[in-house]
Formats: sequence, C-alpha cells, structure tokens
Amino acid sequence: MTESTHSHQAPAYIEFGEYSTHVPKNIPIALEQATGRFLGNREARIAEMPQWEELRQAAHEIRLHTLLNLDLYLELVEKQVVAAGGVVHWAVDAAEASAIVVDIARQHGARTAVKVKSMATEEIGLNQALEAAGIQAYETDLGEFIIQLAGTGPSHIIVPAVHMRKEEIAALFREKLGIDAPTDPLELAAIARRILRERFLEAEMGISGANFLVAETGALVIVSNEGNGRMCTTLPDLHVAVVGIDKVVPDWESLTVLLKLLARSATGQKLSAYTSFITGPRRTVGEGGAKQFHLVLLDNGRSRILQDPVARETLKCIRCGCCLNVCPVYKHVGGYAYGWFISGPIGAIFSPQILGVEAARELPFASSLCGACADVCPVKIPIPKILLHLRHRVVEGDEFEKPAAPAPLRASASLGRVALSTPWLYRLGTRLLPFLMAPLRRDGWLPALPPPVNRWTRVRPLPAFRGGFREWWAQRQRRNGDRDSRGSP
Amino acid sequence: MSPLDKNPVIENIRKSLGRQPGQAVEPRPAVLPPRPALEIQAEIDLFVSELNQLSGHARRVHQEQLAQALDELVQAEEIRRATLWKTPVLGNLGVADHLERLGVEIIPAGEDKHRLASCDLGVTEADYALAETGTIGLLSSPEKPRPVSLLPRVHLALLRAAAFRPDLAQVFAEAKGQGYLILITGPSRTADIELTVTLGVHGPKSLNVWVLV
Repeated sequence: MTESTHSHQAPAYIEFGEYSTHVPKNIPIALEQATGRFLGNREARIAEMPQWEELRQAAHEIRLHTLLNLDLYLELVEKQVVAAGGVVHWAVDAAEASAIVVDIARQHGARTAVKVKSMATEEIGLNQALEAAGIQAYETDLGEFIIQLAGTGPSHIIVPAVHMRKEEIAALFREKLGIDAPTDPLELAAIARRILRERFLEAEMGISGANFLVAETGALVIVSNEGNGRMCTTLPDLHVAVVGIDKVVPDWESLTVLLKLLARSATGQKLSAYTSFITGPRRTVGEGGAKQFHLVLLDNGRSRILQDPVARETLKCIRCGCCLNVCPVYKHVGGYAYGWFISGPIGAIFSPQILGVEAARELPFASSLCGACADVCPVKIPIPKILLHLRHRVVEGDEFEKPAAPAPLRASASLGRVALSTPWLYRLGTRLLPFLMAPLRRDGWLPALPPPVNRWTRVRPLPAFRGGFREWWAQRQRRNGDRDSRGSP
Repeated sequence: MSPLDKNPVIENIRKSLGRQPGQAVEPRPAVLPPRPALEIQAEIDLFVSELNQLSGHARRVHQEQLAQALDELVQAEEIRRATLWKTPVLGNLGVADHLERLGVEIIPAGEDKHRLASCDLGVTEADYALAETGTIGLLSSPEKPRPVSLLPRVHLALLRAAAFRPDLAQVFAEAKGQGYLILITGPSRTADIELTVTLGVHGPKSLNVWVLV
C-alpha cells in the first residue's frame, strides 16, 4: 500500500511541505504515464479543432457571466427542478449537506446507496456521514471502488486510483473481498463489475454529483465512461444529487460549448462514453429511472469566494483535471500532498479559499508559477495570478482574511522590504554579506546554514553571495566603455 | 426550509456580488455557431469511422440484410435472451420475430430490472446521431425504457439517416423539454487500473449501431 494520508474530514492543517519530502517512489512514475497519455490524446483532439481558442474564450465568458448572475440562475434552477417534480434543498455548509442526505435516506428507509464519482460528496465527507447513520454507501466508479476499499481519498480528479499498481489492487481485493484476484487489470475490472452489478440492482438509493446543472430547464448533466453514472441514476427508486452552486450553466446552448471542451481536456476523448441529461424524476412508470429526485445545492464557502474579483474565477472550474496533468509539481508529489479531495493547481487555489489560509497556507506556494495550468485550462482560469493573490493574502493579509504566515516569516519579509527600499541600508548589506558568509563558505557555496534559514540547505547548498549588483553593473559598463573606445562596430 | 424563509445561500451570493433581488440577468455571452452538416452519405461515413475507432461496431445495413445481420450478431455474441424497445421502426422491421426465429428468448422491456439484467442483448432505436463524435442519442418513454441500453452486455441500436443532426446544438434544441436524454459514444470503458483500457466495465461491452439504408 502507498502511504496515503488523505483525510475524509476537512483537514485542520495541510502539510504540503512535510508530505512532499517523502512521496512514495511509484507516484511520480504512475503520474508521468497517466498524464502523458491524457495530454497526448488531448493534443490530437485540439489539432482537429481549429476553433479551440474561440471555444475557450466563449467558455470563459459564459462561466464568468454565470457566476456574476448566480443568484438568478440558481433561483431558475430551483423553479425548474420543482416544476419537473423534484425537491430542492439548500446547504450552507458540508455538515448541513450531509445531514440533508442522511435525512432523505432515513425517510425512505434506504439502507444501501450506490454512488457515482462525485467531488462534491468527497468535499462534504458524505460516505462517513452515511456510515455513521448506519447507511452503507458503495462507490461504483472502478477507481473510487478501489480507493474506498483502501480507505483513502482520490489522488487525481479523473483517475482516482492512478497511484496504485495492479499488484497492490489485487492484494487489496484478496484482503477486503476475500476473492482470489489475479493481477490482470481486465480480470480485476471483471470482478468489480460482478460485485457492483448486484449492488446496483439492490440499492434503494442512488447518489450522484453533477458535471453541470442547466438553469433553463433544471436538467442535471452527468458525464461518465463506465456507465456507473447511468446505473446509479436509473435503477434505484431514489436519486439524490449533491451539486456545488458553481455547477450552474445558463442554458442548453451554453452547454454545447462546455461539453465540447470537457472530455477533450480531461482524457482527450471527443465525448465521454455516456452523457446523461436528467430533468426531475421519471415522468412515467414504464420508462425506468428514479421515482423521486432530490437536488442538494451546496454552498460551503462558494458564495463567500464570489466577493473577491480576482480569486472568484476559481469557481469557473469544470473539473477536467487538465491542470493536474501539466503541472510539474503535481506530477512529482501526487494528489495526496494537497491534503484534501481536490489537488494540483486547482486544489492549490480552491482549498485555501474554502478552508481558509490558516489551514491551507502552504498550498499557494506549492507551485513554480510556470503557467502551464493557465495555458491549458479550458475555461481560462488565471491560476498563477490567483496563486500570487493568495500568497499575498497568506503573508500580508487582505480585505478578506488576516495573514496566516508564521510571525518570523512575516517579520523577515517586512525587514526585507525596509532593507531593499532604503538605498544606504541596501549598500551596507551588500558590503557586509561577504564577511558574514565567509566562515560558512566552501568553494562558492554555502553547504549548511544555521536555523531558521537551514530549511534551504537541508535540501541543497545555497550559492554564496558574489557581490552587489551595482558594483557588477558599474564594472560591466566600464568594460563595455573600453571596448567602444577601441572602435568596435 | 419553507418558501417564506429567506434563502441564506442566495442572500450570501447577493451580498458578495452587490446585487439586489430581482435585478435582471445581463445578456448571456454568445456561443460559437454550430458545425455545418456534410451531405448525408459523408455524415454516415464519418459516424461509422468515428464509432469504430472507439471499439464500437458501426456499419450500414440494408433492410433486406437485417435478418442475416441479426443471425451473425446472435452467433458471434452467443445471444440467448434479448429485450427490445417498441418503436414503429423496430416493429415494422420485425426485429423481435427475427430474433425469436433464431431461438432467442424475448423479455418484454417493461419487466423488472433483475430480469432485464439477465438479458444478453438490448435493442433500441437512436433518436439522434452525431457524426463528428460517433455519438447516438436516446430518449425515454414507456415504450423506450432506459435500462434496455444499459443492463444487457450487448447493445444494438438501429439508426435511421433521418436521426442525424449536425451538432449538439440541434440535438439540445429538440430534446431539452424531455425528462431524459442519454448520449452514448462507444461502449462502456475504463482505464482506472494502470490505464489499461477495459470495455464493458458496467454498461454494455459491445455497442453495435446499424445505419439503416
């Protein structure tokens, strides 16, 4: 087993730095393979689409427009879902959302539930809440089924068990299911199919999230490849969908833009195998589908994020996972380093806003700011800009939150600002530094420094200070001046 | 929450955005124009090629070849039990009769889900098709139950040329008033274990689409 430390409850503190110093060795290898394949397929899809950039721009505009008019679109969602015969619930936070779902399950006497892969239910820790109420919730996406057996959370938005090898999965099946499982991925998938088929047919309740929620008619849109999304929403008599308020799309026309981008960005497919559009409960007995439909609209801090004009673009996300696939940091540390259900660059900007910078203060720094994420994002979220915005919030605080960086770091940042903006102090510093460093210096490098600055040298040596920029510049000008006077062209 | 209560989520959103209740929605930004249609034979060619690339089985079938095509499918996939939609097209083509003559037991599509799950084959008729992605679209009604395209391990959809639409935009414009629409693009698949592509993990392993000509 990999040592996964993902917590099911919202974490009190995310130790990105600590975790990233002991990443299991197989993670970077597995991630390089998976993300490489997705990105290769994605490139091929984009090459076929001359209008890709126009699509991204339209998606950006539609998503931002939806967020800026979210109150009215949500009211329309409620009106249309109710008109279609569904029940709408509003949940201010994770605890409220879980309590609503548990209540619905109890009212219907449901003892088992089958679940579609859903980031919203991971966010609210729904499985644990159901379990505490004596209701067994079964994950049915193959990857989610595996990590549920392992007792961990997803390490990638699209392929939740990407970090596990087939040998580990076979051992897990043997241990938890008591089945003599071979190490062949096809056989392992067949075992999961057999077990889950019974659960689909027996469960009293299906639980899903949604990829989109169409305000125009109240339609829930669920994208899946395995067909488990269809099973969970077609077979049980009760269907409960837990959906973040950011998932709203104004109308079906807007949906065409987003659906054309989603699968191409996520896995490099043109469309996923199944896209379901469900509006309310079934209209006739004979057609199949759930008899009762409940929609739980989850806020959990999203409405608060909207007040920040820079950071609110985070909520444009359509959860394709492409920013994870291109991120050099994610590919080295894996999803668990980000400490919550959502990882990679999008996790690094989402979690600090939902959990607060106190709990997630390391995440805005978990990036080299290379910008690859912003280049591929299908809805053009300016992730590096938001990372910098949140770094500022962590260190200095802003109108939305108090600073969260440790006092010594804040103090040294303030000192640095004074030193760098006071010319005489800066010049004095450049004169003094070589003498201060001399005792520690070895051939132009500083191999070890005293605490607290030893955090750098624990990992790599620091290049020694070689003199001030002003002196170097003056010397360079003199050299160039000499050359010019010799009459070079 | 009763309807008379103030909705705290909506209240918070309005506070954050500085919006007043009842303030109008600004016009929605424009979307791109839909893909133009090719001529129908080219659309069919593209559809067949796209779906076959996804490990689906798409081909043109002449009406008089239907019995033979069904015979081949029943042999190849070892079909013993089947269920099918009651649409005028499937009825006129006599699909159920052909299958029965081949010794296949027919389970009525309205039967309980456990019985439908025991079927090897489900036969439907596509309401829509999109050539660009190799996609079929199915609606639902008492004659066209949803589980038929989901529970049996083999799915056969018959497709009339009239069901082709150039773009998602036309499908959505027609289907948005319906309670249910499913777009199917290839057989059920997963790559969740070491990225090994596995077909038929939950839905049908074999997707056959026969374009009627």
